[in-house]
Amino acid sequence: MEHIKNGILDYLKDNSFMERGAVLKDSDSLTQNGIIDSIGLLELIDYICETYSIEIPEDMLTPENFDSLQGITDLITRLAK
Amino acid sequence: MQIIGSSVAQTTESNIGKLSKNSTEGSINYINAQIMDEMNRDTDKLAEKLKGFIRDQVTAFKKKGVVLGVSGGIDSAVALTLCVQEFGKENVYGILLPEKESAPSSRTLGAEICESLGVSYEEVPISPIIEALGIYDKKEQIIKRTCPEYDPEVHKTSLVLPDFLNQGLLNVPYIRLIKDGETVARYRLKANDYLELIGLQNVKQRSRMIVQYMYAEKMNYVVCGTTNKTELVLGQFVKYGDGGVDLEPLADCYKTQIYALAKHLMVNEAIIKRPPSADTWSHYTTDEEFYWRMPMHIMDQLLYAKEHKLSLEITEKNTGLPGDTIEKAWRHIDRVRDTTEYVRATPPVYYLGK
Repeated sequence: MEHIKNGILDYLKDNSFMERGAVLKDSDSLTQNGIIDSIGLLELIDYICETYSIEIPEDMLTPENFDSLQGITDLITRLAK
Repeated sequence: MQIIGSSVAQTTESNIGKLSKNSTEGSINYINAQIMDEMNRDTDKLAEKLKGFIRDQVTAFKKKGVVLGVSGGIDSAVALTLCVQEFGKENVYGILLPEKESAPSSRTLGAEICESLGVSYEEVPISPIIEALGIYDKKEQIIKRTCPEYDPEVHKTSLVLPDFLNQGLLNVPYIRLIKDGETVARYRLKANDYLELIGLQNVKQRSRMIVQYMYAEKMNYVVCGTTNKTELVLGQFVKYGDGGVDLEPLADCYKTQIYALAKHLMVNEAIIKRPPSADTWSHYTTDEEFYWRMPMHIMDQLLYAKEHKLSLEITEKNTGLPGDTIEKAWRHIDRVRDTTEYVRATPPVYYLGK
């Protein structure tokens, strides 16, 4: 679980509006903190599907699953089982 | 557009002091605000003011009349009628700009309103421009790699977003395949494909802009825009496409107000009844399916409530939506507005010495 979280964090540091040295708590909102916008979100979904070889069902594409590091990590953990 | 921020759930009492702002024609009772009534009132005076604005702008630009792209939709019908009432049919020129994927009704309704107003008009199909740039082919390639079973001989296509109010899903775009009027499949678009597709699709509106200016400059006319406030706030127009115009008389009127104006101006009922659409997909895709993700009257009430800082309680009463859904929708609107800021922006200038 930790390696998934770190992988997403590294992705966000490289591909989002997050500053390199910024600290992101597990429950911090990615959209409300301006880390990803709507296009960034689509790119993140593509990255998750490709990196973890998973398909995300439409009903799981919710703000709750994608708006925080914890939400994303939990989603990947559930789908990658 | 003003942002409510984190204090959306203001109490009625807190609004008493804050919301003393007047509407165009009189003070609004914010405590018992009936949003739809507010948007629909004094339409006759609004029409007169818009006509005055159009005249002032055309005069300020020292132009002789108005060119308008007529789409068969309600916005261009209202703008065209206002222009004709102000300048006379002799000084207004309508251009119908269909392309291969336009609905046939766009052309017939566009021609009908020009003829009913006695306006000179011309049809200038933009398909040759689109074809010359390979837009249709590139679009088809994206659809094929997104939807494996896509057959252009069999399927019509549209680009849609999930309904917001009932599903609460993310703003993730899907290509929908339609066969014999029925949706047979939908596939999520990848980010790169979505961006490319938007760039390709927007060539349609930008081609229309080029043609309109070709005529306007020849005639020494202005190009009149048809963007309304709902579209403006949500960035629901193409920069240097339908947003590339000389004046925007309707851009402070919510779509609901455009309907009220259309009724007041006695626009053809078929145009009023036609669901709003950018009409750039082979399957007629409504603005509700792609942009608003909810019925127009709900979106307009949410936008109006935000603009006038109405309380959550009043917005609940008006929309019939639960408070948490309204707060989610307001956050969604904030995100859309922020994301589309660059669409509304004019090119920033670096001023020397400042």
